[in-house]
Amino acid sequence: MKNLTKKLKADWVRNRSLYILVLPVLAFYILFHYKPIYGAVIAFQDYVPRLGISGSEWVGFANFRRFFSDIYFVRLMKNTLLLSIYDIVFGFPAPIILALLLNEIHNRFFKNVTQTITYLPHFISMIVVCGMLTDFSLSTGLFNDIIAFFGGKRHPLLQDPTLYRTIYILSGIWQQVGWGTIIYLSALAGVDSQLYEAAEIDGANKWKQTLNVTLPGIAPTIITMFILKIGKLMSMGYEKTILLYNPATYETADIISSYVYRVGLLDQDWSYSTAIGLFNSVINFILLILANKLSKKFSETSLW
Amino acid sequence: MKKELKRTAALVMAASMAAGLAGCGGSQPAETAAAAKAEAKGQETTAATTEPAAAEFSYPMEKGDPLQYWVETTTTVSANFANLGDTPFAKGLMENTGIDIEFLQPPQGQQKEQFSLIVADGDLPDIMEYNWVSDYPGGPEKAIRDGLIIPLNDVIEQYCPNLKKYLAENPDVDRAVKTDDGNYYCFPFVRGDAELRNTIGLMLRADWLEELGLEVPETVDEWHTVLTAFKEKKGATAPYTFEYTNNQYLGANPFVAAFDTSYSFYIGSDEKVHFGAVDEGYKNYLETMHQWYEEGLIDADIATMKNDQVAAKITNGTAGASLGQAGSRMGTWLAAAQKTNPDYDLVAAPQPSTEKGKKAEFGHVEVAYSGRSSAAITTSCKDVERAARLLDWAYSDEGHMYYNFGTEGVSYTMEGGNPVYTDQILKNPEGWPVSQAMSAYIRGNYNGPFVQDERYLEQYYTMDQQKATPKVWGAASSNGAAHVMPPITPSSDESKEFSNIINQINTYRDEMTLKFIFGDADISQFDEYVGNIEKMGLERALEIENAAYDRYKAR
Repeated sequence: MKNLTKKLKADWVRNRSLYILVLPVLAFYILFHYKPIYGAVIAFQDYVPRLGISGSEWVGFANFRRFFSDIYFVRLMKNTLLLSIYDIVFGFPAPIILALLLNEIHNRFFKNVTQTITYLPHFISMIVVCGMLTDFSLSTGLFNDIIAFFGGKRHPLLQDPTLYRTIYILSGIWQQVGWGTIIYLSALAGVDSQLYEAAEIDGANKWKQTLNVTLPGIAPTIITMFILKIGKLMSMGYEKTILLYNPATYETADIISSYVYRVGLLDQDWSYSTAIGLFNSVINFILLILANKLSKKFSETSLW
Repeated sequence: MKKELKRTAALVMAASMAAGLAGCGGSQPAETAAAAKAEAKGQETTAATTEPAAAEFSYPMEKGDPLQYWVETTTTVSANFANLGDTPFAKGLMENTGIDIEFLQPPQGQQKEQFSLIVADGDLPDIMEYNWVSDYPGGPEKAIRDGLIIPLNDVIEQYCPNLKKYLAENPDVDRAVKTDDGNYYCFPFVRGDAELRNTIGLMLRADWLEELGLEVPETVDEWHTVLTAFKEKKGATAPYTFEYTNNQYLGANPFVAAFDTSYSFYIGSDEKVHFGAVDEGYKNYLETMHQWYEEGLIDADIATMKNDQVAAKITNGTAGASLGQAGSRMGTWLAAAQKTNPDYDLVAAPQPSTEKGKKAEFGHVEVAYSGRSSAAITTSCKDVERAARLLDWAYSDEGHMYYNFGTEGVSYTMEGGNPVYTDQILKNPEGWPVSQAMSAYIRGNYNGPFVQDERYLEQYYTMDQQKATPKVWGAASSNGAAHVMPPITPSSDESKEFSNIINQINTYRDEMTLKFIFGDADISQFDEYVGNIEKMGLERALEIENAAYDRYKAR
């Protein structure tokens, strides 16, 4: 203990400016992310804002039981998990592939233009993106114009539950793929160029180089990003869903957060929504630890 | 390098994890101290109300501390004024009553969130305008018991001669504005005249009807004929469309009503509460809609329709019939379409029925008092008399004219015993549309704690097509008023159970309704659908609603 204090003191003297720099960030997380965790206790209460946390009645696990016994529980879990998993399967590799492709472009101008174009959708507001998607998906919309051009039948796409996930995931990739490449491109820049030279001398072609030099070089980044993604498996936000879905697509579109939005927030049922949020967080937490453990075991890369 | 990355990653990770956890408890910082303080205040105010009032009273009152008045922002006001307090309406109100007001305004659409934050904080404004019936979980009685607002029985007795008189003269409203326990809790927004309660209805292209030699349809079959003609002869690809994503229109759906039922709860002829979406009539409605959908008479994209898309379709001839308000829809569409097509015309159609000549039993009618925009006095209010006097003034003759028409000589003049808006309103020098000019001087064209006057509507509707709507959509076309749900409240113990059941049922009904219409579910599955709704606890929900309705009748 004494040793630690001593060490900290010595470190403080040496890195004072660094500590001062990190202070506001630390304060931010303590104030806005750790302090409110206390509020999660209302998941076990019948919370009335007027009475506050100390005044509200304790109800044990009643809010959780209500969620688990909800007739939509299974469907909501399934939809949430499936969307998340599709997002990982299709959405996760997309920026890696794009980054690898960009990395092979040596014409600076062309590379910059491509990057800028792929970043741009990230800055479009979700409301605008969903508005565009809704319009394009109408039976008279752009997507249907394309389908009709190739001889397909016009069909309101966003009213078809079987197409909902595809639209959701593809639009997500379109919007985020460019932005996602940033971290991989910086990792790619860090790969030692001597390794490429050595590989070339050994007779490795571009493909072999990618497989044996580039990918192992950025593997730690990929794994870190992957673990983080797993940790968010259950926490799909409701914003995009409530902008895109309608009762006709509830079957595949309704996820935990949108259901909570409909029944919890609009009814001001704070305790119920908190209970579901807490449930999500606990699952995410477990998944995160599991993913980290597995990664540690098999690839030596881990978050802690 | 590996190690370094590990460290940064750990930091990122810790941060995002914390963010994830925090997400589940963002908004409950209520402090006991604040709650206790407010409670103490509540007792003080109750004590204050029992003091005897001054024998003679007249407006304006003597100057005192300003009252804090919490009321949602309205777009027609916020278009030109940062705060309601800046409007000539508010200034005149303060002058007439002698009471200074500080308006606190949650942005439009964020009323519920802001309400919860204020309540959690504990330091309440003196007066809050809210829908205490539907937007406060557990209803107004619960709000009183939670120590949020004060019961007004004594207050009305002492300080509110005008409201008292109005309620005595209107027993139906009187019954609606108190709780089952007999507590008054608000200064209500009342749609005073029947004409004000029929603002949503069907409309269709009058010029097309004339060209095709067709009459305005009155039955479901006639509608079928008309829509088919629109499709085949006028090339409308989506003959009937409306803003399906707007719950207001789903509730008002005239084609459900045509089959003698309702989308949700209604009062049956047996004086009991029923749930319409399981009725035989609802099955007939679904069958008909499915047929129309297959024939291309209903917009193929109906489930995703939003206001701007509907507006585009109905004005450019893609659609020929729609559903909406006479003011914000019919008027807007007519004005927009006639710019490019002077022949464009819309006509209101009555509530359809299934038999020619038979008056429809059901139809959309708004209730006189729905609960919205009702001003309550909170337990934080120190000067209950001032608050009560301020609000009571709206129900006096003078206040009634002021809320609906503004100041004589400025926003209206009296002609033949009737108020007529001046050009300040109808041809505003600043170039404001009528609705915005009205909102600067009155509250009559939106809502608030007063009695709305039909003479406002007659002038707000500037086109003849609009002026015809109250008659066409009103009592002449249906007995809808007999079936509409009054503002009943489940007891606070039952309200959670009720909302739990009804949320599940509504999700299922909304989903299946579209499946039946689109043909993704066959109508032969209707019994199964009804069975599922029953399994979700419909019987219990009806039991709660019926008990609440019985208590309502006994008020």
